[in-house]
Amino acid sequence: MVETSVPAVELRDVVKRFAEVIAVNHVSLKIAPGEFFALLGPSGSGKTTTLRMIGGFELPTEGEVFIEGEPQGYKPPYQRPVNTVFQNYALFPHMTVAQNIAFGLEMRGVPREEIRRRVGEMLELVRLSGYERRRPHQLSGGEQQRVALARALINRPKVLLLDEPLGALDLKLRKAMQLELKTIQEQVGITFIYVTHDQEEAITMADRIAVMNRGRVLQVGTPQEVYEHPENLFVADFIGDTNFIPVQVQQVGDGVQVLTVSGAVLLAHWGEPTLNAGSEAMMAVRPERMRLHRPEEVPQQEGWNAVEGIIRHVIYHGLDIRYEVHLAGGTTLHVRMPVGQGETRFQRGEHVVVSWPHAAARVFRSES
Amino acid sequence: MSALLQRKPGLRAWLLLAPSFVWLMLFFIIPLGIILVYSFLERDVYGGVVWKWTLDNYRRVFDPLYFKTFLASLWIAFLTAFFSLLFGYPLAYYIATRPEKVRNALVLALMIPFWTNFLVRTYAWLTLLRTNTGLINVWLQQWGIIDRPLPLFGNTFAITLGLVYGWMPDMILPIYAALERLDRRLLEAAEDLYASRWQVFRRVIWPLSLPGVVAGTMLVFIPSLGAFVTPAILGGGKRLMIGNVITNQFLGAHDWPFGSALSVLMMAVMLVATLIYFRTGGEEGRRGGLG
Repeated sequence: MVETSVPAVELRDVVKRFAEVIAVNHVSLKIAPGEFFALLGPSGSGKTTTLRMIGGFELPTEGEVFIEGEPQGYKPPYQRPVNTVFQNYALFPHMTVAQNIAFGLEMRGVPREEIRRRVGEMLELVRLSGYERRRPHQLSGGEQQRVALARALINRPKVLLLDEPLGALDLKLRKAMQLELKTIQEQVGITFIYVTHDQEEAITMADRIAVMNRGRVLQVGTPQEVYEHPENLFVADFIGDTNFIPVQVQQVGDGVQVLTVSGAVLLAHWGEPTLNAGSEAMMAVRPERMRLHRPEEVPQQEGWNAVEGIIRHVIYHGLDIRYEVHLAGGTTLHVRMPVGQGETRFQRGEHVVVSWPHAAARVFRSES
Repeated sequence: MSALLQRKPGLRAWLLLAPSFVWLMLFFIIPLGIILVYSFLERDVYGGVVWKWTLDNYRRVFDPLYFKTFLASLWIAFLTAFFSLLFGYPLAYYIATRPEKVRNALVLALMIPFWTNFLVRTYAWLTLLRTNTGLINVWLQQWGIIDRPLPLFGNTFAITLGLVYGWMPDMILPIYAALERLDRRLLEAAEDLYASRWQVFRRVIWPLSLPGVVAGTMLVFIPSLGAFVTPAILGGGKRLMIGNVITNQFLGAHDWPFGSALSVLMMAVMLVATLIYFRTGGEEGRRGGLG
C-alpha cells in the first residue's frame, strides 16, 4: 500500500443509522491518492451507504469523512471534489451522449469551446468518438457504462466513486470492462472507490479491498492479503472457495493445535487471537492447497496435516480436476489438483489421504 | 368458427373492434357529419333546415358579436390551462415525491370532488362568489377588511376559477404519472454534477415531465374552450363563452345551421391547437420520454 501523509479519503469512526437500523457501524478507512480501492461485501453490508457518505448523498450520524484532509461535514455532493458513477448509470435519457458528458462542465459555467474540447477528449478516452449525437437508449449496456464514466471523469474529480458500475452487464462484457476500467484508472491517475459484491471483480481490479459485512469493515488489505490471510471466518468464506473443518481447539501457542470430530489432530500456523483451548472452531484451507494421495503412498513430510477420506465425486474442469472427499464425521472437502503431467488420477469411491501444509491452514472462531 | 379465427388473427381483431367501431360510427362520426352538413344549410322558420347550400353561417361566425366571444373563450381556456399548470405542477410533484402509501391516498383525495355532481359543485362556487350575497364578500365586509364587494362574480375571473377548479385534476394526473416514474438517481446524478436545485428542475425534471405537461394541458384546454355549464352559472348571464352561444343556437334560437357552423369552427381551432402543441411540445416530450 502507498503510504502518504494525506489520504485521498479518510473515514474516521463513521456511523450511519437509518431509524432503527445501523447501516454502517464505526467504520474507519484510509484510502491513498491514486489507489483503486474496493468496498466488497454482500447486499446490506453497508458498502453502498459508505460510498454515499463519501459522495455526500448521505450524511454520517457519527464520525467524519475527510477528502484530501478536509472534513466534509454537511457539504452537499456538488461541493465535494468527487463524482459518482451510479448503479445502472443514471444517464439523462433526454440528452445526447455529448450533452450528458458536458453536463457537469456546463453547470459550472465552463466556456463552450473548452467544453467541446474536453468532451472530445473524454469520448476518445472511453473509445466512443462518433457517438456524440446518440441517445442513451440507443447504446448497449457497455457503451452506457462508458458514457457514465466519461460524464464523471470530465469534471476531473479528486476521487471517483463507482457504485456497482458493472452490475448490469453480462459476464463476458463485465470481464472486458473490468480491464478497461483498470486501464482508464491508471491512465487518469484518479483515486477510484469501487463498490461491488463480486469478490472476483474486487480481486481482479483493486489495489486494496475492504471487506464489509453487517455495517462493519472486517478486513482491509491487498487482494493477496485478503485471499491468502483472511482474518476471520466471514472473509475466509466470502473470498474464494474454502474448506471448513469443524474442530475443537486443544492448544494455543506458536501455532494452533486442534482436534477434528473424528479424532484426528491437526496443526495450523495461524489462529484467530481470541482462541483458547477448548473453544469450538473452524479450520479453513483453500482447495488448491490440498493434495491427495493413495494411503500407501503418503509422503512423510514435516509440517503437513493429513486426514483420511473417500472420494465421492470427480469433476473435470479443464485446468484442474476437482475432487469431493468425504471424511469420517461427515465433513466434505473440496480438493483441486492441477491437470499436469504425471499427476495421479483418482477414481470415485477410492480411499485417499488428504494432506495440506500447516502454513496453509487457518483457525477461526466458529461464531462470527 | 373458432378454427377460422385461429387462422385469421386479422378477422379476430376486427370482430373485437366491431362494437366500439359501431358505437363511434353511430354516436360520433355520423353526428359529426350531420353537423358539418348542417353548417352549410339554411335554417327554416320552424327550427329545421332548408336544403340549400350556403356559406352565410360561416360569414356570421366572423361577425364581431360572435367572434369576440370566441376570442374571449380562447383567452379563458388559455388562462385555465395556464393556472391549472401553475398550481397543478407543484401539487403533482409533491404527490409524486411522497412515500407510496401517502401517494395513493393523495391521488384518491384528488378524485373525491368527482363524487359530487359538477353542477352542484359549480353552484357551491356561486354561493361563495356572488357579488352581494356571496359568502366571501359578506364575510370580508363583516370583518371590515373591505368596504364594498369585490368583483368576484360574473366575470372572466369567476369563470376561470370555476374551470381551473373543475379541470385541474386532469392536469395533475398525467404530470403526476410522468413524475412518479422519474428515476430518483437522475436527480442525484444532476446534483453530483454541480446542478443547483433550479438547474436540476430546469434541465432534468421539467424535460422528463413534459409528456405529462403536454397531455395535461390538452386535457384542460379543450374542455375549457367548449365549456358551457361553468360560464352559464359563474358568468352570471353577463359573461358568456362560445359554448353558451352554441347551446343557445340549438336550444333557444333554433338556428341549427349557425350553431353547427360555430361548432365546426371551434373543433377546427381545437384541432389546429392540438396539432401545433403536439408538434412543438410533443417533440420535446418524445425526446424526454424514456426510450
